[in-house]
Amino acid sequence: MTWLVWRQHRIQFYVGAALLAAFAIIIVITGVQVADQFRSAQLACAMHEGCRHLGGLFMGSRVVGFMVIATLGAPVLVGLFWGAPLVAAEAEAGTTQFAWMQSVTRKHWLVVKIGWMLVAAAIWGGVISALVTWWSSPNNAELLNQFNPGRFDIMDLVPVAYSLFGMALGIAAGALIRRVLPAMAVTLAGFIAVRVVVALWLRPHYLSAVTVFYKATGGFNPPGAFWQIAQGVVGPNGQALAQPNNTPYIDGVPMTALPGACAPVANGPAGPTGSCLQALSHFRAYLTYQPADRFWTFQGIESGIFLALAFVLIAITAVVLLRRDA
Amino acid sequence: MTPMEKVLGPVGPGPGGHWGSPEPIAVQTSGLTKHYGKVTALNDCTITVPEGRISALIGPNGAGKTTLLRLLAGLARPTSGQVIVNGVTPHQDSAFLADIGYLAQDIPLYRRLTAEDHIRAGAHLNPRWDGESVRERLTGLKIPLNRPVGKLSGGQRAQVALALILAKRPRLLLLDEPVAALDPLARKNFLGLLADGVEAGGLTVILSSHLVADLERVSDHLIMLAASRVQLCGDIDDLLAEHRILVGPSKDTAALERAHRVVQATRTPRQTTLLVRLNGPVVDPAFQASEVHLEELVLAYMGEDAPPALTHLTSVGEEQ
Repeated sequence: MTWLVWRQHRIQFYVGAALLAAFAIIIVITGVQVADQFRSAQLACAMHEGCRHLGGLFMGSRVVGFMVIATLGAPVLVGLFWGAPLVAAEAEAGTTQFAWMQSVTRKHWLVVKIGWMLVAAAIWGGVISALVTWWSSPNNAELLNQFNPGRFDIMDLVPVAYSLFGMALGIAAGALIRRVLPAMAVTLAGFIAVRVVVALWLRPHYLSAVTVFYKATGGFNPPGAFWQIAQGVVGPNGQALAQPNNTPYIDGVPMTALPGACAPVANGPAGPTGSCLQALSHFRAYLTYQPADRFWTFQGIESGIFLALAFVLIAITAVVLLRRDA
Repeated sequence: MTPMEKVLGPVGPGPGGHWGSPEPIAVQTSGLTKHYGKVTALNDCTITVPEGRISALIGPNGAGKTTLLRLLAGLARPTSGQVIVNGVTPHQDSAFLADIGYLAQDIPLYRRLTAEDHIRAGAHLNPRWDGESVRERLTGLKIPLNRPVGKLSGGQRAQVALALILAKRPRLLLLDEPVAALDPLARKNFLGLLADGVEAGGLTVILSSHLVADLERVSDHLIMLAASRVQLCGDIDDLLAEHRILVGPSKDTAALERAHRVVQATRTPRQTTLLVRLNGPVVDPAFQASEVHLEELVLAYMGEDAPPALTHLTSVGEEQ
């Protein structure tokens, strides 16, 4: 059975391997340059007291940066071009009637075919993620933005889970619809929909966020690459104040909530003094965030969700193919 | 020796048996019914095919031939009724599948793979596999082994598929219009190959076709479907012996119709021709009985859309 899978899909394999190799070459060459520049900038910075930011450090060319961000779409490719046709193309051509009338049970056929496809998807996602994660490590160290959707979603564990999910979605769509192009369309739409819903609405709630209150006149900065969920100001009675928008404000507190003594401060360069400072001391600011050390937990939870979805889709495929007439 | 005798000779008695004793059965169904949504593809189908037969599956388009073959192969599941193939209900098991060769009407092969690829795939997928026979046969037919089968002609593709299905060495071969794509000589050769295979023993064949003349040459058994129902099932010699064409004057035939089952009636002002299934001897001296040919029998039943229990008269060429 493995022989047949290889014979049927080896061209897809060569294409996929060639794409990965080309991507790896570009990433490795530019990645070495980026790492060099980062190291020399760090050294240069260490010689100047108070150099906290490396400023406008070169982070690779725009084209390569775009390619790295574009790997957001890589996991769905395996679903579109490998997963969706896996069953649908055979159903369209009637070749399931060839395969299923050899001395191989449908279950065996399914296990071997899907098994190899999932292995391929995991390798695809894993190699791309490893390259992107390595390439981005100076950026991550500098920009502390590991939780940004454009970063979190293309690094470490989750691309592997997304690829497995994309593949499973393609296979299931192909098995249910039995026609390649509609199955591809459903795969693409389904993948985007699930990814958006999870990233925007589920991910912020994997663990309950930490909220810290502090003096509005003071400041608070959690350590490392934390993920800011919300921030704002509450008044003396604990009421939340609308985020200032187009209205003058001091330390996040809108002028409308402050005495007239603060008016010159809002319009001028001088800091608040006297009664204005007194009034401001009654306001507190808050920051709601996911701490930086939760990064791996979040990666794990997100991966778990997509692996579970992939499992359900494969189970549906198996039930459909084993129960339905060929 | 006619081709029929050639086939029938070694087929008859099983090991140590003789005609009349229970023969080993290759295929048996009872009350087999298949619905696709609201469409009834096969209705209450009860057939028996003894081992070692070449059974012709005949019926008009949409009669349920493909459905029956797919149910026997285990590719489809019956809505109700029973199927026994090689002693078991069709199921997903490599031993069961190894004994069945099924070739669908549209000749499913991987269009991008070559014949050689298919031969090697077969070797990986089957416990018994005679790949060498396929190579020999296709080389003999001048069909290239190393060209993608999608680039072969329809007839060549059919030859590849047929050679592959035989290489599996099945006990039961189910062929859905296998010779439709072949030229007359290739048809004759292939049917001869089937007859040889059956003669060698251990093989039963059910093949559907519209080409009654071809089937008549090799078949010794007939399954006739019309309107999703079985009209006839049995050894062709027995079926022919049970039917007669009666030719007589144009007169009241009610007595004849009561005594025998009239399959087809053709009436002209001067003469009545009846094709009947006999229930005993014909006593009316006004009618002359003659033997039926397979093609006449098949055509008569093809016009028959009613359930077999009812007498349905088809009047042809009635003047006035």
